[in-house]
Amino acid sequence: MSHSQDKSSALGQGVVIFVYLAVLTVLEFFVAVSFEAVPLLLVVAVIKAALVMYYYMHIYKLNQEDGTDEHSYEYKTGSNRLGLWLFLLSDAFVFGGLMVMRVNLLGNTRPEALNQVLGLLVTAVLLVSSFFMNRGETAMAHGDTKSFMNNTLITFVLGLGFFLGVIFVEWPEAAHEGLTVFSGTPATGPMGGVFYFMTGMHAFHVLTGLIFLAVVWNNARKGIYTAEKHWGVEAAAVYWHFVDLVWIFFYPALYLIGTAVALK
Amino acid sequence: MKGFFSSALARGLFWQLIGTLVGAGLVTGIRALMGLTATDTFFFTEPAWVLGGFLGVLFFLVGSGVTSDWIKWARGIDTPDHHEDHHTGWDKYANVSLDHKVIGIQYTLVALALISIGGLFALIFRAELAASQLQFLTLDIKLFGQNGPQLYNTLMSLHGMIMIVSILLGISGIINYVVPLLLGAQDMAFPRLNAFSYWIAVPAAVLLLMSLVLGGFDTGWTGYPPLSARAPVGMQMFFLGVFTAGWSSILGSLNVLVTVVRMRSKGMTAMRMPILVWAAIATSLIALTATQLIGLSFQSVMFQRLFGMGFYDAAKGGNPVLFQHLFWFYSHPAVYVFILPGLGVISELLPVFVRKPLFGYRWIAMSSLGIALVGFVVWAHHMFTSGMNEYLRVPFMYSTLLVAVPTGVKFFSWVATLWKGKISTPTPMLFVLGGIIVFLMGGLSGPPNATVSTDLHLHDTYFIVGHFHDTIFGGFVFPFFAAIYYWFPKATGRRMNETLGKIHFWLMTPSFFVLTFGMMYVGLLGMRRRIADYDPALGIDSAHLVLTIAGFLIALSVLIFFYNFFKSIKSGEKAEGNVWNSRSPEWQVPSPMPVHNYEQPFEVVGEPYDYGLKDAGYVKFIEPDKGTHK
Ligand code: HEM
Ligand SMILES: [Cu+2]
Repeated sequence: MSHSQDKSSALGQGVVIFVYLAVLTVLEFFVAVSFEAVPLLLVVAVIKAALVMYYYMHIYKLNQEDGTDEHSYEYKTGSNRLGLWLFLLSDAFVFGGLMVMRVNLLGNTRPEALNQVLGLLVTAVLLVSSFFMNRGETAMAHGDTKSFMNNTLITFVLGLGFFLGVIFVEWPEAAHEGLTVFSGTPATGPMGGVFYFMTGMHAFHVLTGLIFLAVVWNNARKGIYTAEKHWGVEAAAVYWHFVDLVWIFFYPALYLIGTAVALK
Repeated sequence: MKGFFSSALARGLFWQLIGTLVGAGLVTGIRALMGLTATDTFFFTEPAWVLGGFLGVLFFLVGSGVTSDWIKWARGIDTPDHHEDHHTGWDKYANVSLDHKVIGIQYTLVALALISIGGLFALIFRAELAASQLQFLTLDIKLFGQNGPQLYNTLMSLHGMIMIVSILLGISGIINYVVPLLLGAQDMAFPRLNAFSYWIAVPAAVLLLMSLVLGGFDTGWTGYPPLSARAPVGMQMFFLGVFTAGWSSILGSLNVLVTVVRMRSKGMTAMRMPILVWAAIATSLIALTATQLIGLSFQSVMFQRLFGMGFYDAAKGGNPVLFQHLFWFYSHPAVYVFILPGLGVISELLPVFVRKPLFGYRWIAMSSLGIALVGFVVWAHHMFTSGMNEYLRVPFMYSTLLVAVPTGVKFFSWVATLWKGKISTPTPMLFVLGGIIVFLMGGLSGPPNATVSTDLHLHDTYFIVGHFHDTIFGGFVFPFFAAIYYWFPKATGRRMNETLGKIHFWLMTPSFFVLTFGMMYVGLLGMRRRIADYDPALGIDSAHLVLTIAGFLIALSVLIFFYNFFKSIKSGEKAEGNVWNSRSPEWQVPSPMPVHNYEQPFEVVGEPYDYGLKDAGYVKFIEPDKGTHK
């Protein structure tokens, strides 16, 4: 496998990218609380997305040579990879549509009812989970099933934390502050609808990602993956990072941009 | 019959019923425990029907067995690449198969079934329009909780959407059957996903039909809120059905794209691919991405109804015009999804029957992509009167008129191909020529709608209805029939009857012209769309009567087609060779097509459409001993 780096440098790269992402997220947060700067936030989000797509989701692998034997595992993996990315492209249109709804309905405002600390916290949890996912996949690419399972377990726990955090902490908290699904007036726009639809659709994807992680973890336990043959692991990882990628845009869209507007 | 009851189709439908009851029962039980009303006009409450409808689809998919390999994979169990089909005859099509040829035929059969149902609905409401006043869909009849005019609205709306779904399935049928053969592939890239994409369309069709009996809905196929936010439960079944059918389209196109990119034969470079393959790419790019937006728009109305979210509710600050943007962002490009494969079929067949190279291959190939791309930026031409920002009108007018350029390219190519050709006109060619002319009428009636000043008058009149029937018949229905007549021998080893085929054509085409020109005529005189009745003072009663008669004649011609279709399967004239004298690879091997397609792989050594040129082969089969395995 000439194309893969050796294991420690691959892991090291994962750490560096994680630090970049973390710094950018903190930057984003402080920019948003100190002054109005939608274009700057957009730039930061795009940079973060590019980092995730390149270093964690390995989009460049789409361009990889994989021989000409249509029946080889390698060739089929290449086809699978293209299929997965096309699926993600399609899915991205759902989230893009949600963004359009948000911009059209709420414009340059956002709900004041949201708890900023909580928002930053769930974002951090998702980001850290991506970091461990990357470590897990790297381990599997070097045939280390044990380390893959450990890292995936951590990813799973963090992801579950995110999911439960959104549904059982963030939502009730927002509702308590007056932001329910029905919320909205002609002056504010349907803030409740937008907030719950966006977070709900994202949480649904987190849930499917968790199921996917559980499946590959269980299959790894049975020992069916090797350094050469682990498409299932790669797919689960790419999908997981994609869910993170969406949140990179949703987090500022819901929590950071525009002026906070109270409902009443 | 015994075979049918144990088939995947019957099992799936049975489980769909169970799933519906489970889902609906669950919600009803919870509501009862919470002290909410547990039943409603149609027995279950709306949320109960929605969860029921949704679970019904899931149960269908698992129950029919189309997901069983994936479930095994999830449990770490490997499955063989191919399953041998042990079913024969019709059973083959009622059971899960991974063979793209079987799936292509399954799609085609369901498409034909839906065309019949949608057509039947049209005949019913067309009969009501034959004269002004209400004749049989009157105010005092009551069926499925609807009075006559309400039933008219439901039938009209369902006619639209069922026809659209049948088009989506019809193009999938052609693409599934033909594209892998043109590429020289053994199958699609993902055979299981392929089967899944087909099977999910079946419960979707059931959901659409359920909307008829659950109170119906009166919005037309577009489902605009605020009306759709308060229509009967049938609205929700409609949304759910379309959402489900959308997945068929999305996953099917994903498969087509990967297949084309990854599974072409040796030597098939981009500029040597058959035009139909280019058309399949363009269509799939649209369907893969834009379909999500109709899903999202319908889903958001569903949620508004279920949970009280305020997206399109002005009292909560919602914006109904937003719905129209989301909806048309799919539904305009969707019209190109409908027609691009059909136009591809026209370009594919024309040179065969003209015995001349296709004129301007590159331009045609690129025009499909051009139409697809421009098609993404024209959607608001459906909204000139909807109250969107006025400054948006002019840019959308120009972008729309721009579509005429790549479309025009296709026409020039077809005309130049026909020029001085040795034209022969067996049935498929008749439908190709008919398609070209009908589509031209659709294309000519488009620009008046795209021009703001005229559309302000034409919008929501029967003129629009005439326009899009021309485009859809020219771009889909005629080429679809052409494709069936043309590839029928490939699939069955028999030919369809020529005389009956010609009667079909010569009955349908003039009737169709009367129908659509008549629609445009009454539209210009003030006939509105989507309404059960009209003012006798408009003076269009007799015109409407003629339209109704024309509609019934079209139905008669399609009946003749069906008779020919089923009769020829059993007793058509045998045709096992290259019936049309085509250069395309699938005709170089015997019919019906062998199970695993080509015994020997082939290499592309020339241009696809060099008809009539000496020594200009397109494909060369690689001898097993000499050729190195690619
Ligand atoms: C030269 C090309 C075309 C132009 C300029 C054009 C323009 C338009 C415009 C502006 C409308 C909206 C009119 C209104 O509602 O007031 C319209 C409606 C429609 N067009 Fe076209 N069109 C073209 C080709 C096509 C094609 C190829 C198809 C489909 C196969 C198609 C299908 C439809 C349909 C279904 C509607 C009605 C939608 C509805 O309101 O239910 N058109 N067309
Ligand atoms: Cu349009």
